[in-house]
Amino acid sequence: MATIISRNVNHLRYVNRCLSQFRRLPIRSPPLADTAPLRTLPILQSVVPLGFGIQSLAIYQRCLFGTSTASVNPENQAPNSSGEANSGNGKHSGGSHQSNESGKSVRGGPVSWLSFLLLIATGAGLIFYYDKQKKQHIEEITSASEAVKQGPSVGQAAIGGPFNLINHDGKHVTEKDLLGKWTLIYFGFTHCPDICPEELQKLVAAVDKIKEKAGIEIVPVFISVDPERDTVEQVGEYVKEFHPKLIGLTGTPDEIRSVARAYRVYYMKTAEEDSDYLVDHSIVMYLMGPDMKFVKFFGKNNDVDSLADGVIKEIKQYKK
Amino acid sequence: MALEAYASRNPDTVHTDVLSEARQACYKARDAFYACLEKESNKAPTEIASVGLLYPSECKGSRAEFVKHCRASWVKHFDRQYCRNRRVQRLLDDKDSRRGV
Repeated sequence: MATIISRNVNHLRYVNRCLSQFRRLPIRSPPLADTAPLRTLPILQSVVPLGFGIQSLAIYQRCLFGTSTASVNPENQAPNSSGEANSGNGKHSGGSHQSNESGKSVRGGPVSWLSFLLLIATGAGLIFYYDKQKKQHIEEITSASEAVKQGPSVGQAAIGGPFNLINHDGKHVTEKDLLGKWTLIYFGFTHCPDICPEELQKLVAAVDKIKEKAGIEIVPVFISVDPERDTVEQVGEYVKEFHPKLIGLTGTPDEIRSVARAYRVYYMKTAEEDSDYLVDHSIVMYLMGPDMKFVKFFGKNNDVDSLADGVIKEIKQYKK
Repeated sequence: MALEAYASRNPDTVHTDVLSEARQACYKARDAFYACLEKESNKAPTEIASVGLLYPSECKGSRAEFVKHCRASWVKHFDRQYCRNRRVQRLLDDKDSRRGV
């Protein structure tokens, strides 16, 4: 506590010096503010501009300069000498120094109870103020970070794009043909051993479930990432077995490459024997809105129910 | 125009061995083979399957069925998956035995 008091005494002396400088020489205050005293007290930088009443500090000045001790005087000398970089300053500090000495000779006692109480009050005030500012700052930070986590993502994921493929009936299909309805797109290939059939079964079962639960029509789409083997007929035979509504799309290798890039789907031929190979690909279903804009993706871990519920939830949120 | 050419190419070559029926047959043979492996797990594995999987000679028959009904790449894929699962199982089982109270 004693150290805090002595520190506060110094703080206040410096503050008084600076404020008196501000009063006398308003233009030259910024460079003065940069001199030694305030460099060590960044806290007060915030206090001083806010200015809790130059008048009140003037009162403090008079009270404090009115009561001074031998121990405080040398400390006055220190800020005095550094403050004396400015000529216009020397006069005032000399004047206050004089009043110090005159005050000493008048009062006689070291520190009066009144000045002590004022000191405590100011010290406590400063501490509480600083504490409050710090708490506010911390709150701001935590609320800002929480806000980012809770709210919806800013902007939209850049998934999706135009494509020009052929469906399993041999007709050209672009993304415009899928506008106006919700679509669930799955990327795979017909020669897939177990994963694609499983995922496609989940997909069409979910589509049926959504139809009966919420009455919403979803268009399931299957896009092949193996254009060299998946011809139109192949895809046609394949998708027929899953669901009559399932649309199968294929195309030239270039088109497939651009679609996969637009939808950020990875696919790579595992280089085995020439005609019998598997295609390694990302296992994902994309839910696209009626404007063919990306809404949500579903990974391999969802089962039919969670898939159906997830889609229904997204549709309901979208309508809002 | 390139798209039209692509669409009309190869009207007859539909790989039926990846369609539903063939897939089901393949899965059945695969399950039979792996069941045989589980059953004969105490016998010494002498035959080579693929991708490092070994199996005892008792399961030769089911292996032949498996290979007949499934495409070669599928056989390799399933073998690889089986090995992976076995390894995970072994880790889990080992952990339990070591943990023993």
